[in-house]
Amino acid sequence: MRITQKTIFGNFMRDINKNRGEMAKIQSDLSSGKAVRVPSQDPVSFQRSRILTEDIRKEEQFQSNIESGLRQSRLAQDALDETIDRLIEIKEKVVQGASSSLGESNRASMADSISGIRDSLISTLNLSYGDRYLFAGTNSGEKPFELDGTAVGGVSNGSNNKSPKVQAGDGVNIDISVTGSEIRNTPAGDLFEVIGNIEQALRDNDVTALNNLLPDVDESIEHVTDVTSRLGNNINRMDFMFEQYEATRITKEADISRLVDTDYAEAFSDLQRIEVAYESAMAVHTTMFKNTLLDYL
Amino acid sequence: MRSLFEISKSGLRSAERSLSVTSNNIVNADTKGYSRQRIDKTPNGMKMTGYNTGLGVNISNVTRLRNEMNDVMLNEKRQNMSFMQSKARVFEQLEASMASDSGSDLDLSISNLLDTFSELSTDPQDISVRNSLISDARQLTTKFKDVSRNIDRTSDLILESSNSTINAINGLLGEIHSLNQTIAQADAAGAPDNTSLDLRVRKLEELSELTDYEISANDSNAVELRIGGVKVLDAEKADHLKAEINDVDKTYQIRLESGKTVEPQGGQLGAELEMYQTEIPALKDRLDELASTIVTEFNAIHSGGYGLNDSISRNFFNPTNTTADTISLNQVLVDDPTNIAASDTAGEAGNGETALQIAELRSQQLIGGRKLIDYSVDLITSAGNSLSSLNSQIEARDSEIQMLTTQQERESGVNIDEELSLMIQYQNAYQGAAKVMSAAQNMYDTLIGILR
Repeated sequence: MRITQKTIFGNFMRDINKNRGEMAKIQSDLSSGKAVRVPSQDPVSFQRSRILTEDIRKEEQFQSNIESGLRQSRLAQDALDETIDRLIEIKEKVVQGASSSLGESNRASMADSISGIRDSLISTLNLSYGDRYLFAGTNSGEKPFELDGTAVGGVSNGSNNKSPKVQAGDGVNIDISVTGSEIRNTPAGDLFEVIGNIEQALRDNDVTALNNLLPDVDESIEHVTDVTSRLGNNINRMDFMFEQYEATRITKEADISRLVDTDYAEAFSDLQRIEVAYESAMAVHTTMFKNTLLDYL
Repeated sequence: MRSLFEISKSGLRSAERSLSVTSNNIVNADTKGYSRQRIDKTPNGMKMTGYNTGLGVNISNVTRLRNEMNDVMLNEKRQNMSFMQSKARVFEQLEASMASDSGSDLDLSISNLLDTFSELSTDPQDISVRNSLISDARQLTTKFKDVSRNIDRTSDLILESSNSTINAINGLLGEIHSLNQTIAQADAAGAPDNTSLDLRVRKLEELSELTDYEISANDSNAVELRIGGVKVLDAEKADHLKAEINDVDKTYQIRLESGKTVEPQGGQLGAELEMYQTEIPALKDRLDELASTIVTEFNAIHSGGYGLNDSISRNFFNPTNTTADTISLNQVLVDDPTNIAASDTAGEAGNGETALQIAELRSQQLIGGRKLIDYSVDLITSAGNSLSSLNSQIEARDSEIQMLTTQQERESGVNIDEELSLMIQYQNAYQGAAKVMSAAQNMYDTLIGILR
C-alpha cells in the first residue's frame, strides 16, 4: 500500500480538527455550564427542557395567583371572624333583653347599641382589597352593603351570588371569598332582617318576641361560622397547593438540569482524554513529517 | 561500434525524460486533481548478422495512473455531501432565527401572554395588569413578525446564492466542454493529453459540489453529462442552464436553452432548490398556522366577554390578519386597556371568567392535537432537529469520502520519497549512459591512434 505525504498530512489535519472541535465543544460546555444551548445539539433534550420550563412557568403563575388569593381570603376571613364576634355581642344583648328584670328605657338604649353594631357590621363587610369589594361577588366594583330603608332588613344588597376566584391549577378554580348574598342568607332569614327584628323587639319592649328571636340569632351565628370555615378550607387548600407546586418545581428544575446542563465530572474527564489524543497526534505527526529521504541526499 | 553511441544516446534521453517526469510529479505533489505519471520504456533491438542485439531503450508512453471508477464514486459521494452541507448551513440560519439559548423564543412569548391572562382573571379590576397584558401581547406579535421576517430573509438569500450556483455550473460546463475537445484531439493523435485529463478531473470534482450528474465517456474519451437524466453536455456542445423563479408560489424551475426542464436532486443547487421550494415554505406554513390558531381561538373567547366600562364585544387580535407576518392587536384595546374583556357578564368588574377561559387555552390541545406551547416548542426545535440528523449523516459521509480519497491517493498520489529514489536512479542511469559514451569515445580514440 502506498502512503503519500498528502495522505499523512490529510489524516493529520482531519484528526487535529476533530480533536479541536471536541475541545471547543467541551470548552463551551464548561464555560457556559450548559451542554444543550441550541436545539441541534440535542433536539429531544432541548424540547423536553422547554416543555418542563413551560410547566414550571405555568405553575409559578398558579402560585402567584394563589398568593394573591391568599392575601384576599385571609382579609375576608378576618372580616368574617369579626362579624361572628359582633353577632355574639348581639346574642348577649338579646339574652340580656329577654330577662324580665330590665325596664323599657334599658331596652331602648340596647336597641340603639344594636343599631350601632349593625352599622359597624356593614363597614366591616364593605371590606375592599385594592379596587375590589371582597364581599360583592363578581360585582366587586360596587359596595355590597348600604343602608337603605326600602331594602330588606334596611340594608341594600349590591352583591351577586358569584364568588370571586383564582386559577390555582389546570381546571382548578378556588373561591377566595364568599358573596354578600350568601352571608345574609341565613336559615333564619335575611341576616339584617334578623338584626332589624331584634332592634324592633327591644324598642317595642316585647320580651316574648325577644325570646322567640333567640334561636334566630343562634342560627345566624352558626351560618356565618359555617361560611367562615368553608373559606378557611379554601385557604388551607391554597396553602397546600402552593407547597405542592414548590415541591414539584424542585423536581422539575432538577430534571431540566439533567437534560441540558453540563456534567462537570464527565466534561473534565473528556477534556483530559481529548488533550492526550491531541498532544499525541501532534507528537506523532511532527515525527512523521521529519522522516523524509531528502535529509539523506 | 556505432551502436554504442546509439545505445548511450537513447539511455541519456530516456534518463532525462524520466527525470523530467519525476520532477513534474514532485512539484505537483500537492496539485488538486493531479495524477502521478510514469514513463513506459521498451527495449530497442536489431538483428545483426547471426544474432540479435539490443540497441538502447525506447520511450513508448507516458502513463497517467488514476482509477476513473473511483472518481465516479467519489463524485457521487461529494455531491451528496455538498447537498447535505448546504442544507445544514440553511438549517443553521433557521435555527438561529427561531431558537436562542437565552430562552426568549416564541414559546416564552405565548406563555407570558397566557400567564398575564391568568393574572387578569385573578384581578380583573387592576389596570396595571391590563397594561402589562397589552405589552405582552405586543411582544408576541413582534416575535411572530421577527421570526417570519428572518425566515423570508433566509429564503431570499438562498435565491441569490442559487443564481451564482447556476452561473458557476454554466462556467464549469463550458470549461469541461473545451477540455473535452482538447482531450479528444490528443486522443485521436495517439498521445493522451494528461494535463487536460487531470484538469477535467478537477473540474468534474468542482461540478460535483454544485449539482448531481451522471457521467459517461465516449470512444474518443470525451465525457457526456446528464443532470437528472437530461443531457447537458456532450462531445458537440455544452448547454446553458437558466432559472425560472416564481417568488410568490415559491417555485423554481431550471431550463435548458432547448426548453427542457432539468431537476437537480443533489449538490448545492439541489439543496437550494429543496430548501427554497419545500423546507422553508413548510416551516412558514407551520408558523402561520400557529399565528392563525392563536388569533382565532383568542378572538372566539374574547369577543364573548366584556370590558370594564361597556357591553360591546370586541376581538383581541385584528381578525383579518391571520399570518405570522401580519398578526396584530385590536387597536381599540391598545388605546384603552379597560376594553380588554375579562368578564363574561357585562357590568361585573370583578368577573374574570373570560380571562380565565383564555388562560385555560394553555392546557387545551388546539393545534394538531397539541397544546399551543408544545406546538411552538416543536416548531422552534424543528430546524435544529433537521440540522442534528444532517450533522450525523455528514459525519458518516465524511469518513466514506475520506476512505475513497485515500484509495485514490494510493493510486494517483505522489510519494515524494518514492520520486526522490527514482530521481537518484535516473541520475545514475544518466551517468551510466554518459560513461558508456565516453568509453565508446575512448575506443574510437584508440582505433584512430593505431592509424597514426
